[in-house]
Order: sequence, then C-alpha cells, then structure tokens
Amino acid sequence: MDERELTARVKLGDEVAERALYDAHVDRVYWTAYRMSGRHDLAQDFTQDVFIRAFDRIKDYRGDAPFGAWLHTITTSVVLNGLRKVKRFDQREAVLEEAAMVTSPVRESEPDLKERLAQAIEALPEGCRVTFLMHDVEGFTHEEIGTALGTTAGTSKAQLSRARAKLRIALADFVGDWVQ
Amino acid sequence: MTDNRPDDDILDERIRALTTAEYNAPEGSVPRDAMWAQIAAARRAARVAATTDAPVDDATVIPLAPRRRSRTVVFGWSALLAAGLVLGIAIERARHEDSGTTTSRVAVAPRTDSAPVVAPPESTNTDSVRGAHPNRETTPAIAPKSRDILQPRAARELAVVTPRDRARDLPALPDSTVQTFYRTAALQTLAQAEALLIAYRGAENVRDPAAMQQAARWARDVLSSTRLLLDSPAGRDPQMRTLFSDLELILAQIVQISGTPLQARERELIEDAMRDRDLLPRIRSAVPAGLATS
Repeated sequence: MDERELTARVKLGDEVAERALYDAHVDRVYWTAYRMSGRHDLAQDFTQDVFIRAFDRIKDYRGDAPFGAWLHTITTSVVLNGLRKVKRFDQREAVLEEAAMVTSPVRESEPDLKERLAQAIEALPEGCRVTFLMHDVEGFTHEEIGTALGTTAGTSKAQLSRARAKLRIALADFVGDWVQ
Repeated sequence: MTDNRPDDDILDERIRALTTAEYNAPEGSVPRDAMWAQIAAARRAARVAATTDAPVDDATVIPLAPRRRSRTVVFGWSALLAAGLVLGIAIERARHEDSGTTTSRVAVAPRTDSAPVVAPPESTNTDSVRGAHPNRETTPAIAPKSRDILQPRAARELAVVTPRDRARDLPALPDSTVQTFYRTAALQTLAQAEALLIAYRGAENVRDPAAMQQAARWARDVLSSTRLLLDSPAGRDPQMRTLFSDLELILAQIVQISGTPLQARERELIEDAMRDRDLLPRIRSAVPAGLATS
C-alpha cells in the first residue's frame, strides 16, 4: 500500500493505516526530536505529540508534497514549542549568547572535541541551530526548511551560513588538527 | 558570508561530519510500541470526545431564540401596560373635567344670562323663526345642540370635539376605583423602570450598542407611561410624584442614547443622577416584592 493510499485511509479513520504510517516515519521523527532536544524523554514526548497532531490534522494534508516533509513541518513546530515550554532552550541560549561575546577560551580549559562541539551547537541562536541541524545533519533542502520554519529558502541559507561561521569560530582551536 | 576562505569549506565539512556522528547521535532503539500506546490512547480519547461533544454543547448552550422571545414578551407587556394606562388615565381625566375640578381646554364663550339672546340671521331653527319662514322646513339644516345655539358663532367655531370630550359620556368611576387603577399602573410602571435601569446598566457595562439601543426603545415606552402618571390628577401622593419626576429625568437621558456608545461624560451624568437620587433603592422600596418578577 503506498503512502497516498495510507493517508487516504487515515482520513477515513482507519487505525491500521495510522499504525502503518507511524511505523514508516517514527524513526526519523524521533531522532530529529532527539537531535534537537538532546534528551530521550523529550524526544519521546515530542514524537507522540507530532503523530497525534498529524492524525488530527490529516484532513489538511493535500498530498501535493511527500507525507514525510509535511510531517517534518509538524515535528519542527512541536519540538521548538516544546523546548520553549521546558525553558531549557531559552536558558541555554541566554547563557551561551553571552559566552559567544567572549573570545574563544583557551584550549587547556576545554574537555574533548565532542563536548566542545555540543556546546558550540547549543550556543547557536535558535534559528541558526535548527537550520544547521536540519540541513547539514538531517539533509533537508533550504526550501523544505523554509516551509517547516515558516520562512523562506533565502532565510534558511543565511541562517546556515551564520551557524557555520559561529561554529568555525567556536571550534577554532581544533582547526590546525582538522586541516592537517 | 560570501567571502569564504578555502579552508572554511573543509572546516564546514568536518564540523558537519562530526556533528552527524557525535551530536545527539541516534543511540539505542526507538521505543515504538510505548509511544504508539500513548498515541492510540490519545486518538481514542479524541474520538470519544468528538462523539460526545455535540450533545453536551446542545445542553449547555442557551439558544438565542428563546431569549429573544422572552424579551419580546417583556416589550409586549410594556405596550399592553401603556395602552391600559392611557385608557385609565383618559377615563379618569374625563371624570375630573366633568366634575369641574380641572379647567377645560376647550374655548367657551362667556355666557350672560341677563343679556338678550340674539339669534344670528342664519340661525333659523327656532320655532318662531321656522314659522316665519315656512320654506326652510323643506330643507332643514342640521340641528345644533341647544347650548350651541346660545353661544356666539365665533365661540362655537373654536370648540373642538376631542376623544376626551367623548369620554365625558362614560360613566364616572368611584374615587376609590380610580385610585386603585392609578396605583396599579404606577406600580407596574415602576417595576418596568426597575427592570429597565438594571438592563441599561448591564448594556452600558458591556458597551453593547444593540443592547443600548434596545434599552433606549424600552426607556421611551416607560417614559411615556411615567409622563402620563405625572399628568394624572389621580396622582396625589407627593412622594410618588417626586419619584416619577426623578425617573422621568433619568429616562429622558437614556432615551437620548441612539445606539452609539455614550461619551464618558454622558455615562457619568446618568450614573450620577441615578446615584444622587437613590433612584433604584427608592423604586425598589415603592414596588412590593414579587411584583417585578410577576
């Protein structure tokens, strides 16, 4: 059964079709949520919310775009709103925005590269961070990101460029090793 | 942003690869069944809510039509009351005019019994004149009442027959009956006024132009009744007359509302007048408990 037929049956209230659609997309939704939140409990909550909302609004899905893209729009919205609700996002952003104003810390005070990378990514402004993760990690196009975030492809490109620049600065201490 | 150095592309690719591999990388398995159980439960709850929502809404939402009907009934009663009031006061006034307690508004020429009555040349309806001119018998003029014959023509031309004059022919009511009518009409008008003032305050609070306009129309009806009661000779109670005078003032102000939101100053004037004159408490003390609701 193809996806178009599945969505059509979901619109009619078919629970079996709902489960089939869920199985087909749950991994990507879950890991996207996990990438953006960094916590399995939040990723689980967000994934449930995404599918509940998607099935509630399935009548709005016209079928002119892949179901996965439509679902990712909902995923992004649910995750971003969820992160704002738990305030973890805002607190982290505020602290790290201040940190970004300071020059790069000395290498001796830092743990390993993996942790520095995580800190640098989390220090990015919300739009930049989401765009960077969606484009460079999840593989979405700028058009898809623009649709998901309610912006344009041009904005997505600008956000990505800004994110990359900030990450280069934040990880400048490792540049010598990488380039070599 | 456009002046990327050659090393930047290498760095970007390294960062991307590192992020994909390290940053919140998928680890472990996705708890599919646990999440599906929650999703399925939420979906079932939503379906149940959707099927039970409609009857609950029907039971809790008050339909508009009955409320409109009830308001129509109020206005209908107001109109009936006003009509009854007009009739009662007209009868009562006619009785007073007949008994000479009020001055007639109809112009009547002074009559001097000592002066000789000179019949005008065209007045040919007396027997003596009729005898002198027998030809007039074949074309008789409409016979005026005898008292008209005794009045000068100018005075008769001024006399106008009004409904009040016709009411004179009605039998006079006993004073106690008139007082009972008056008191009933007064109490009903006050009960209406109380309800109106409360409704006006409600409409004013929510700044609802439609409700204000309706209150203004209602106030016009009650104002008519109030003025009739003020004019009625049966209203002898000075306390009641003062109350009706104050009520007339407030109602006249409310009638000025034309459906547009009142200026703050106008609202203050009406509110101040109601408060300074203790209008609502005085109306409530004048109206027996239960009359307004009945």
